[in-house]
Amino acid sequence: MPSPADLVDLPFLREALLELVLLGLAGGSLGAWIVLRRLAFFTHAAGSATFPGLVVADASGFSPLLASLAVALGYAGGVERAGRAGREPGEATALLLVAALAGGVILASDVFESGGAVDRLLFGTILGLDGVDLLASAAAAALAGIGTLALGRTWSALAFDPDGTRALGVPTGAADLILLALVAVAVVAAIPAVGVLLVTALFVLPAATARVLARGIGPLIAAALVLALVQGVAGLYLAYWLDLPPGPPVAVLGAIAYAAATTVRGAR
Amino acid sequence: MSATPEPGLAVSVTGLAAGYGGPPVLREVDFGVRAGESVCVLGPNGGGKTTLFRALLGELAPTTGRVRVSGRPAYVAQTERTRLDFPVTALDVALMGSLAHGRWWLPPRRPERAAAAAALERVGLTDASREPFGTLSGGQRQRALLARALVQAAPVLLLDEPLSGVDPASAREIGRVFDELRDEGRALLVSSHDVESARAFDLVLCLNGRQIAFGPPARALDRATLEATYGSEMIVLEGGPGGVRAVTVQHHEHGHGHEGHGHH
Repeated sequence: MPSPADLVDLPFLREALLELVLLGLAGGSLGAWIVLRRLAFFTHAAGSATFPGLVVADASGFSPLLASLAVALGYAGGVERAGRAGREPGEATALLLVAALAGGVILASDVFESGGAVDRLLFGTILGLDGVDLLASAAAAALAGIGTLALGRTWSALAFDPDGTRALGVPTGAADLILLALVAVAVVAAIPAVGVLLVTALFVLPAATARVLARGIGPLIAAALVLALVQGVAGLYLAYWLDLPPGPPVAVLGAIAYAAATTVRGAR
Repeated sequence: MSATPEPGLAVSVTGLAAGYGGPPVLREVDFGVRAGESVCVLGPNGGGKTTLFRALLGELAPTTGRVRVSGRPAYVAQTERTRLDFPVTALDVALMGSLAHGRWWLPPRRPERAAAAAALERVGLTDASREPFGTLSGGQRQRALLARALVQAAPVLLLDEPLSGVDPASAREIGRVFDELRDEGRALLVSSHDVESARAFDLVLCLNGRQIAFGPPARALDRATLEATYGSEMIVLEGGPGGVRAVTVQHHEHGHGHEGHGHH
């Protein structure tokens, strides 16, 4: 069993630790809104939808981060627009995801004949995170925090009573678009470390667990932050110990916490 | 919502027809409400009460005619339309009213928090201000939504069946706030399916796909009007100190089943 101090002492683990702490901050604060606004599927889909961007980046040498960011933001804009046009949000999310994935497959198999981006996209890695990845996660965490402080009451009002909030004169489309864009940015920042398959482990599970226990929005955000940080750090340690990518242990820990929370609440 | 109404009127509606793409579900609506007046909007389910409110809120463009409202009206929806599992307190709900003052991209300021607390006090909910919205009684939830409208400080308030399914204590509290708002010079439009409660208002607007009557309750609530408004959903009882009495029998649209309203 390796020493937990390795997480700080070994440079590559130190970087991974910093990455997961930053992602925990982003996931904890945005997670509350993801859960309250019922955006769990969108969060999962925004990561997967970056596939065509990563294929193009892989084949052309363009920055994968910028390519996936562009695709994810476009995806968020598309979902918001479809929602404004009265489409059922889940259907719009699914439809646009399928379009993005199909586009990615065509690009990968027929245009660029490349599949190299797929592994990194799906699973993430603790090795080979670079300064740009850390910077992206720091930016995502900062934006998530600022967004929560500034727009939290508006997002909360919109989730609680969309019609009533629109009647207050709030430009609901703009408020929605900002949230979707921040989630897309955070998801893109998380892909190098945890991969798209398990991005929801950081962005949905901690807040979903907190939602089971917390009775107010402040406590919900605080609990989601703590859970995301604990889950990220403990997951990284397990990944190092068991020689896994960090995504799976982070996801398993999140699922255990969620199951424990529902059991505790059921017993009350 | 559109331009300022004629002088002296808080709401003016002229030749309004409105609908949802097909034929208008509401037509021939003409009325004006002065500041400080309260209007009870009566009609059966599907009679056009909600359509009228949506037109007054500016959410629904009139097919024909004109709607003018001074300022942005405050809207109090039925509490069934809110999420009861949502982790907000009564104070959080009241505070949402401050979003109407712009600044939706910034956290609430101290005066806004104070206004929310004052609004809760006004509706008699100070003791429950930290309670989760979902654990409040139906009447308390309605009062929390009314507090949100008070924080909005709008000159016109639209309330969608605020007294439906409300306990008597809350109904008294809400009625008292209505009187205060009237005294402050605000215009109130309150939809209801309770014909008897309409008698406490300055004016009554009867809708059944079109405007059936508009005027003071003593004049508007006659037998012919009520029959035209409710058709077979109503039993009219003659006599008694108030003249005509009516009992409406309706299927509530939110699934509470069969309800009787009014008294005899």
